[in-house]
Amino acid sequence: MSGTSARSMLRSPFVIVVGVALTWFIAAFLVWPNANVLIATFFPDGRFSGRAAEKLLSSDRAMKSLGNSFMLAVALSITVNIVGIFIVLVTHYFKIRGSRILFLGYATTFIYGGIVLAAGYKFIYGEKGIVTVLLAGMFPGMDAGWFSGFFAVLVVMTFATTTNHMLFVANALKGVDFQTIEAARNMGASTWTILRRIVLPMLKPTLFAATILSFLTGLGALSAPQVLGGREFQTITPMILTFTNSPTSRDLAALLAVILGVATILMLAVMTRLEKGGTYFSLSKVSSRLEKQAITNPLANVLIHVAAYLLFAVYTLPVVLIVLYSFADSAAIQTGQLSLSSLTLENYVRVLTQPSGLRPFIISIVYSALAAVITVGGLLFVARLIQKHQNWLTSLFEYLLHIPWILPSALLALGLIISYDHPNPLVGGAVLTGTTVILLIAFVTVKIPFTLRMLKATFTTVNSSLEEAAAIMGARTLYIFRRILLPIVLPTAAAIAALNFNSMLDDYDTAIFLAHPLFQPLGLIIKANTDGAEGVDGVSNTFVYTVLLMVITGFTMYLVYGRARRRGGRASQKLPTSPTTADTPVPVTVSSSAR
Amino acid sequence: MIRLDNIEVTFGDFIAIPGLTLEVEQGEFFTLLGPSGCGKTTALRTLAGFIEPSAGDVYVDGKAVTRLPSDKRQVGMVFQNYALFPSMSVWENIAFGLRVRKEKPADSDRMVREIARRVDLSDAQLSKNVAELSGGQQQRVAVARALVLQPKILLLDEPLSNLDAKLRHQLRQQLKDLQSEFGITTVYVTHDQDEALAMSDRVAVFNKGMVEQVGTPQTIYDESATEFVCNFIGDSSALTPEFIGELNRQSRTHLDPDARSYLRVEKASLAPGISESGSGTDARSDFGADLGTDFGAAVPEGAVAVGGTVVSRTYHGLHSRYRVKSHGSELSIIVREDGSRRPESGARVTVHVRPEHVLQYHPKTGSRLENQALATSATSQS
Amino acid sequence: MQKIKALAAGIAAVLALAGCGGAPGTASPSGSSSEASGGPTGETLIVYTNSNGEGRGEWLTEKAAAAGFKIEIVGAGGADATNKLIAEKNNPIADVAFGLNNMYFEQVKAGGAIEPYTPSWAEEVDSELGDKSEDKAYWPLVKQAILLGYNSDKFSADKAPKDWTDLWSKDEFKDRYERVTGLGTATSQLVLASILTRYKDDSGDLGISDEGWSQIEQYFQHGSPAVPKTDLFARIAGGEVDMGQMPSSIIPEREKTFKVNVDVVKPSVGVPFAVEQVALVKGTDKKEEALKFIDWFGGAEFQGEWAQKFNSMPVNNLAVAKAKPEVVEFVNSLKQQDIDWTFVQENIGAWVEKIELEYMT
Repeated sequence: MSGTSARSMLRSPFVIVVGVALTWFIAAFLVWPNANVLIATFFPDGRFSGRAAEKLLSSDRAMKSLGNSFMLAVALSITVNIVGIFIVLVTHYFKIRGSRILFLGYATTFIYGGIVLAAGYKFIYGEKGIVTVLLAGMFPGMDAGWFSGFFAVLVVMTFATTTNHMLFVANALKGVDFQTIEAARNMGASTWTILRRIVLPMLKPTLFAATILSFLTGLGALSAPQVLGGREFQTITPMILTFTNSPTSRDLAALLAVILGVATILMLAVMTRLEKGGTYFSLSKVSSRLEKQAITNPLANVLIHVAAYLLFAVYTLPVVLIVLYSFADSAAIQTGQLSLSSLTLENYVRVLTQPSGLRPFIISIVYSALAAVITVGGLLFVARLIQKHQNWLTSLFEYLLHIPWILPSALLALGLIISYDHPNPLVGGAVLTGTTVILLIAFVTVKIPFTLRMLKATFTTVNSSLEEAAAIMGARTLYIFRRILLPIVLPTAAAIAALNFNSMLDDYDTAIFLAHPLFQPLGLIIKANTDGAEGVDGVSNTFVYTVLLMVITGFTMYLVYGRARRRGGRASQKLPTSPTTADTPVPVTVSSSAR
Repeated sequence: MIRLDNIEVTFGDFIAIPGLTLEVEQGEFFTLLGPSGCGKTTALRTLAGFIEPSAGDVYVDGKAVTRLPSDKRQVGMVFQNYALFPSMSVWENIAFGLRVRKEKPADSDRMVREIARRVDLSDAQLSKNVAELSGGQQQRVAVARALVLQPKILLLDEPLSNLDAKLRHQLRQQLKDLQSEFGITTVYVTHDQDEALAMSDRVAVFNKGMVEQVGTPQTIYDESATEFVCNFIGDSSALTPEFIGELNRQSRTHLDPDARSYLRVEKASLAPGISESGSGTDARSDFGADLGTDFGAAVPEGAVAVGGTVVSRTYHGLHSRYRVKSHGSELSIIVREDGSRRPESGARVTVHVRPEHVLQYHPKTGSRLENQALATSATSQS
Repeated sequence: MQKIKALAAGIAAVLALAGCGGAPGTASPSGSSSEASGGPTGETLIVYTNSNGEGRGEWLTEKAAAAGFKIEIVGAGGADATNKLIAEKNNPIADVAFGLNNMYFEQVKAGGAIEPYTPSWAEEVDSELGDKSEDKAYWPLVKQAILLGYNSDKFSADKAPKDWTDLWSKDEFKDRYERVTGLGTATSQLVLASILTRYKDDSGDLGISDEGWSQIEQYFQHGSPAVPKTDLFARIAGGEVDMGQMPSSIIPEREKTFKVNVDVVKPSVGVPFAVEQVALVKGTDKKEEALKFIDWFGGAEFQGEWAQKFNSMPVNNLAVAKAKPEVVEFVNSLKQQDIDWTFVQENIGAWVEKIELEYMT
């Protein structure tokens, strides 16, 4: 079914249309701009320049930061799995009192991330943080700056990145056939053995996927090392951003970005290999629903409850503090002195009544929603084609569509600028800089790799005979797509769109280069309102914007995920073999976490 | 009605079907039978138009349809998993093709209800979600969905394989009844020989992309054309050259001792004691003599008696299955349970075999050898 | 179906955005008929600036409206505004840009995004502070000193550092001063220029002697790195550090907010001044109106008001009289460091890169 040759594939008019559109898009917005930016940086005068490599190799700081980024990526792949699996088990596998509440606490990372998250942790564990003060009271000799460096960065990013597990792995866990667990118990296996030998191996593909995402997050770490890394632990991304902004150093940025990009692709390749050659899905035709397991050992039960609630506190404290601080005046925030009397609505009034008011919110929502819908909508066709026809041509397209993962968004934006700041035949001779379209193009581009992978995975769960059944009854390709495939993948597609939407709401890196000055998205306004240099209210504004963003993203997540859950309940009486909505993985975004 | 002419199907370097020629008659229930991976599903999908053959042609009603898309071939198909659309109700599933054809809503509804009635689906079930139906009901929806478009040909791809044994038996009958009622030409794919024998007008046995034999169920059973068919269909015991030699000695036939030889289990019968013809001196029965009865089937005419020892007996209620060691062969023998006493393990027994029932195959090619027993007996009698 | 409708609506929305965004000029009547000498036409002018913070943007918009100019302020950091102006050179959206210093405008000029002009107040400013070339493409507005400020509650004037170099050469200041973690901002680049240009050496690496680089190395080695989202004044108030770089104009306001007292160091070589400039964007279709705006904006009357309101030090000689006396006095008490800006301009990119790669830890 999967080995359609390129030639026979090209006989379908649908494929031709999608293919032509895709070829144009890839050529115009993925290959040409990025080739331009790479050529401009590595071949400044038409000749190759090895300057960047020389400079980087001779820089201790660059090498150390690069090393740190990789170290963080590897460490994070491990720690995120440990914490992530634990919270998934606690909320979905074991009988734990109050697991719904725990779930909500662990799910807070869905709605915030980045610098605010890092700052939130610093408020608690930093030198004047609540916990530090508390601990210092108990152990007078302790170092107030204990929470910094590699350890602190790893801890914060670990908690920030478990979003992937909460969405992905939890969903896969629901698909585990309960009978296999009962069978194992019947053969005398302990809770631990069942977990280790039966349950976890079945989650392997999703764990692999989550591991890739954790690795990428670690590699691209930006804000957590900046806030908490201290002198000892700085990563490479801040350096990439600095060099991107300096015309004379852009080659360094490009080279560093390419190094990270290659590592990303290697990681993907390795994981894809590991994933092959295993049966992970349920073999049985009559699988039964997973039931929550009681922990029989009383001591273990108590310990796991304690650990679960401790983690809950770790997860929720920063959010609570951020919400509180959003009502406090800036001096109180900056100095860490928080009292009830200093809480007012003033910050909100200031942010919402400034001349730009709600406009940036609306602009960002329109941009993000459009980009999310266009990306998911467009890639639905592409992902289906790639998943259905596996030949050299589709592989080529698939690889090309991953280009945005190789280069950071700032460089992608630069590529668009240098390619389209003059009339270009690729886009009908138009100048794109200074228009509202160019930012939309960038938003769409940046989200392509993630969306494609997720959609492809979703389509693999769709039984191909559904399509054939419709085809044999005379339905055209588009009709089949609309009536049969779309309803099945829609819940997942909506989830992907929502995650994309959320991650683009506060985008700054691309907007700063590409936004139309009269249609400035939220990210730029936030930046302008929160930079220390721009005024003393900056920090309180940060918190206000964060809370407002939490509200928007929380609402989107509810719309998609909350409703999907309800639907999932009804679909539990499922067809023997057709995948139902409940089985399709709800995917996650890379950038929503603490990048 | 349907003709596959020298079809070749390749997947990359892999040749799934090297060259297939088949004909299916109007109104026939035709089964493609074979183990998994033998190419039977590929053949069906080629016929359906999901796979384009790299060589050869498909004809329906004398017209080449090889390049036609599946919906232009007037075929209906029931998939292994039924491929019911989970996002639609039962009614919507059945009406899907009608809607695609742009039938008037009123006509569609009439046709859906008509076909639903014929496959025994109630009105209440029509409004249900497909996920709420049982396996058997789902199968009927799938059949109704295929038949409502009044195709010339119905293709069934292992539609029973997902069901438990009891339901499978029940639905097998139901499917067969539906087929005879509609009188539609049906091509059925299965790996279950029992299903194939019970349902089909004719069967094509597949092996490694090739058709080993096409024929009525009885032909492929009694006159299996190749060693593969003989082994794949039904149950048989392999016979040693020594055993063949014994048969030749007693009956003066000229079975080839070097050929691969088999005997269907139901073709041998059991008698108590040793009464090997020719050397019958030792014809003392262990217990049959006491009873004075012959407990096997009546000794068949022209049968040869060979001595053996019961190795084991398995009781099945309706019958028992014996394994009897005789002249190096281990014969499986079915004995109907009629309440009389039966020999147990270790008992000495006599086995009756008619040499012309022995199926012989060329040791290299696996193709059937002319049974010398039939020829010899014919000449000796003349 | 629902989805397709939503998509169509969305595309319509972005086309609408594109429509009014792509051609900002068409919405208002063309200004070609009006004379340069006439009053403002009220065409909407798009103004890029990095100097819109702390209410400046809103205040300017109001004041401009009162004078008959309809302006729309687009704020962005200095480097970002520079990049934007250059990126949009073939499809300019801005009509006027102001607030960037000489270094940034020099880049914009090299990128071909602004064009030379002469404002009506050209005679009232010291042209040495603006574009030094023949065809003057940017003109000076206000100047501000980039200073090393310290917590005067902790250090008395005689105990305080006397110059930047004291910070790392004297043990009592080590780890007590905040040092930058990035060199993207104008302020930090000026501090850098202030230190490095003292060690100009044509045979040295990037025109700086080894001694100079060693100073920079020590600056980074002994400073306490700035913390994102934490203001220097907050750190001073919290006792984490006692001193750091700051532009003169923000000091009074921050002192109040964080309840600290800050004094500034006055090195014998002087302090670097940043001079904010104004320029006309090349290719604007509202050139007449833009020039009228610049004439009004840079004129003595408005610059005086601006100085009153935001404690700034105007460059316009006639406006100085209207500025706050204490500001004028303070700025005049500072000696301006003599910096070879051409030399800085040529090398700053390479310097920043070298520092990022070698000295920042």
